[in-house]
Amino acid sequence: MACPKDFDNSVENKWCPGCGNHPILQSIKEALAQLGLAPRDVLIVSGIGQAAKTPHYLNCNFFHGLHGRALPVATGAKAANHSLTILVNSGDGDCYGEGGNHFMNAIRRNLDITLLVHDNKVYGLTKGQASPTSDLRMITRAQPHGVILEPFNPLAVALALKAGFVARGYAADTEHLSMLIQEGVRHRGFSLIDILQPCVSFNQVNTYQWYAERVYDLAKEGHDTSDFMAAMVKARQWGDKIPLGILYRQESPSFTDRIDGLKEGPLTGRAYDPARLHKLLAEF
Amino acid sequence: MGIDITITIGGEAGQGIQTVGQLLAAVCREAGLYVFGINDFESRIRGGHSFYQLRIADHQVRAPRHRVNLLIAMDDATLRLHREELLPGGLCLLNSADAEAEEPVRPIPFFKLARDAGGDILANTVATAAALALLGAPGGMLEKILHRQFAGKSSKVLEDNCTAARLGRAAVQGIDCSCIGAWPESGRKRMIMEGAAALSLGALAGDCRFAAFYPMSPATGIMMNLAAWQDRFPLVVEQAEDEIAAANMIIGASYAGVRSLTATSGGGFCLMTEAVGLAGISETPIVIINAQRPGPATGLATRTAQADLRQVMHAGQDEFPRFVFAPGSPEQAYETTARAFDLADTYQVPALILVDQYFNDSLFTLEDALQAPEKVSSRTIDDASQKNPSDYQRYALTDSGISPRAVPCAGETLVMVCGNEHKPDGHSTESAELRTAMVDKRARKLRGMASDMRPPTGAHPEAAIRLICWGSTLGVVAEAVELLRADGVDAGYMHFCDIWPFPGTAAQAALAGAERLICVEQNSTAQFAGLLRQETGIAVAHTVLKYDGRPFYPLEIVNAVMKEGR
Repeated sequence: MACPKDFDNSVENKWCPGCGNHPILQSIKEALAQLGLAPRDVLIVSGIGQAAKTPHYLNCNFFHGLHGRALPVATGAKAANHSLTILVNSGDGDCYGEGGNHFMNAIRRNLDITLLVHDNKVYGLTKGQASPTSDLRMITRAQPHGVILEPFNPLAVALALKAGFVARGYAADTEHLSMLIQEGVRHRGFSLIDILQPCVSFNQVNTYQWYAERVYDLAKEGHDTSDFMAAMVKARQWGDKIPLGILYRQESPSFTDRIDGLKEGPLTGRAYDPARLHKLLAEF
Repeated sequence: MGIDITITIGGEAGQGIQTVGQLLAAVCREAGLYVFGINDFESRIRGGHSFYQLRIADHQVRAPRHRVNLLIAMDDATLRLHREELLPGGLCLLNSADAEAEEPVRPIPFFKLARDAGGDILANTVATAAALALLGAPGGMLEKILHRQFAGKSSKVLEDNCTAARLGRAAVQGIDCSCIGAWPESGRKRMIMEGAAALSLGALAGDCRFAAFYPMSPATGIMMNLAAWQDRFPLVVEQAEDEIAAANMIIGASYAGVRSLTATSGGGFCLMTEAVGLAGISETPIVIINAQRPGPATGLATRTAQADLRQVMHAGQDEFPRFVFAPGSPEQAYETTARAFDLADTYQVPALILVDQYFNDSLFTLEDALQAPEKVSSRTIDDASQKNPSDYQRYALTDSGISPRAVPCAGETLVMVCGNEHKPDGHSTESAELRTAMVDKRARKLRGMASDMRPPTGAHPEAAIRLICWGSTLGVVAEAVELLRADGVDAGYMHFCDIWPFPGTAAQAALAGAERLICVEQNSTAQFAGLLRQETGIAVAHTVLKYDGRPFYPLEIVNAVMKEGR
C-alpha cells in the first residue's frame, strides 16, 4: 500500500516557517498515496518561484525548468509519453504572470495534467512585489501607493477557456486539498487547482486568519459542478465569502486523445523504421 | 559544356509564379536534366513583384545566374525589372493582348488563353507549356506531369489543364529560340527537393519524433513538411503559442525520451534563447534550426542572410557547450540534421543548425538519392543497465562530462532534472565547490564534441587564392571558383559545415600555404572571418560581403576577387 512517507526525502526545506507551502506539500503526498501512486509513477514539472521548489521536497521524477515555462515542458513530456502522470507546481507569478500565455493554451489543448497553483498573491522569492492576483490597493515596496491593476481571476479565465476541471483549495485545509488533488489527477484532461496560500513574510492582507473568516465549502452548499453559469458566479465571488471546492467538472477528449498518431501508443515506445523513411524518400 | 540555360518567371504574388517553376522542374527531372531554382518574393500575399529563377542543365548546377535566356513576364513590371538580365539572343514572353512588340519581347496573352481553357488560374499551365515548347521539350511531357499532379482531382481540372497546355504550346509555335541545345528524350530521374525538405527528411533520419514550432519565415516550410508526414511516422508536430513554448516543449519531450526539433528564424530564436540555456544546464538534447533572414527585429521577412552566426554561438547567458552546424547543400543538410540529433543525444547538449531563406526555398537536383539509415540508436539507459537504479544520479560527475541519461517513469530510476545549478542527484545547490564541478563537467564534454567535428571540405586545396565560406553559399562559391579558374586564376575554396566546437586544427591544415584567403559571407562584419581568427590566429586578406537580403551570384564573387587583385 502506498503511503505519504514514500514521497519524503532528506532535502533541506527552504520555505519560511509557517509558509502555506508546507501543508500544500503534505496534501500532495497524501493525495499521491491515496491514488496508489509510487514515486516512480509520478512526474512533477515546475517553473521558478517558491512553489516551483516543491518537487525538490518530494521523492519522485521531476523537471524543474524556467520561470513561467512549466506548462510547455509538461506539454512536450505528455506528447512524448502520454502514459505519464504529470503534476505541475506553479505560483501566481510563474503561472498567471510570466507564463500567462502558456496557461491559456494548456487549457485550450486540454492537456491531461494537474496544475497546482500555489496562489499567495505576492512575489515571495523576489521579496514582496505585487503579483497578478494581488488584491486592488494592496501596498508593497514596489507599489507604495497600492496595486492599481485589477486582479487576474484564474478560475473565471479557466472557465471562459472551457477548462474541464476548475477548483480552488486552501493550504490550511489539507484534507480537502488532498481530495481536490486526487480528483484533479483522476480527471482526464486539464485540471486547475488554484490554492489559496498565506505568505507569512510578505502578504499581511490575505493571512490565515483573513481566510479562516471567509472560506466556505461549495460542496456543503449543494453547488452543482456541472452548471457552468453557477461555476462562473462562484469564480467571481471574492471578499466577504470565498468559495472552496470543485467549481466545474466536465470531461472531454484530452490533447493526446485528439492526436490520431498516438492511438498506437506513446511515442517513447515506438521504433525507428527505415522502411517508412525509404518510402517517403522515394517520392522525391 | 552542354545545356545550361536560365529561365525567370516573374509576376505578382498570388499569380502562381512558383508553380510554373515547379512544373518546369518536374518536367526537367523526367528528362534526366538537372535544375536549380531560387524563389524571390515579398512579404505579402497578393500583388508586388515575385520571381522564380530556374536554371536547367545537363550537369549539376548549384547557383543562380545573373543573366537569363528566357524571361516569362506575367506582368509589365517583370519586363521592366528583369529586362537587363536578358542574354543576347534571349527572349521575353510578355503577358499582353497586343499583337506587336519590340524584340526580344513576344506578346502572349497568357491570361486570355487561360480563360479560354477554363479560368485565370490556368495561366501557370499556359506559361509552363509555352516555355517548354520554346525549350524544345518533347510534347506530352507536361501532360504526363499534369496527370500525376491532378490524380484524384476531378477530371475537369485535368482536362482544363491539358487544354491550357495545348493553347500555351500553340501560342509560341514558330517562335525561334536559339538558346536551347538538344533536349534529351529521357534520362535517369534524380531526386529534386527544396532545402527545407532536406532538413525535414534529415530530422526523420535522426529519428525525430516530436516537433514544436511557431510559424516564421523562412523556417515554416520545414515544419509544414513534418506536419504533412506525421501520419506516416511516429511523429507529433505541435504548433505552439509562441517560440518560447516551442523550445520548452521540445525540452520536455526530449526529457521524456524522444528526439525533438524546433525551427525558427533569428527573431524567434531570440525568444528561444533562455530555453537554449535550459537545455545546456539541464543537459537535455535538442535540435534547433535557425533559418536566417535579415534582421534585426523584423528585418526583411522573406529574404536571406548569414548574420546570426554569433547569435547562435553565444545565445544564452553564461557558458555551456553546444554544437553549431551550417550545411551548404541538400545532401549535407540531410546528413547533418540526422547527425545533429545523434550528437545532441550523445553529448546531451543543444545542437543548432544554421540555414537561411536562400537555402530553404531553393530547389536542387541531387546526384545520388538520399538513403534512410538502417538503424538509429538511442543513448538513454534504463533500470536493466544499472546495478542499483535507486542510486541513479542524473548528473554523475564523469571524466567525459557525460552522465548516463535515463528517462522518467520508465522504472525505479528517478530522473531529477533541474535548471538551477544542481548536485549530481539533480537537486539544486548553492555549494561553491559543486557549482565549479558542474561547470567543469559540462565543459569537459567539449573535448569529445570537438573530436566529432568534421574538417572543412572544398576543391583545389593547393590553390594560391582560397575562398572561405560556410553554410548556404557553398554552391555559389564553388561555381565562382570554376569561373575564376577558367579565367586563369589559381583559385580554390574551403567550406565549413561543422562550425562549433570550431575545427581549428583542421582549418589550419586546410588553409595552410595559401597566398591569399578571401572570406565570402552574407553579413556586414565578416562574422566567420572573426571566428576563424579568434580560433586559429589566421587573418583573411579580404572579405566579400553581401547583406542586401538577396543571394550571392557567382559573378559577383568573381568580380570581387578580381578587384582585390591576384
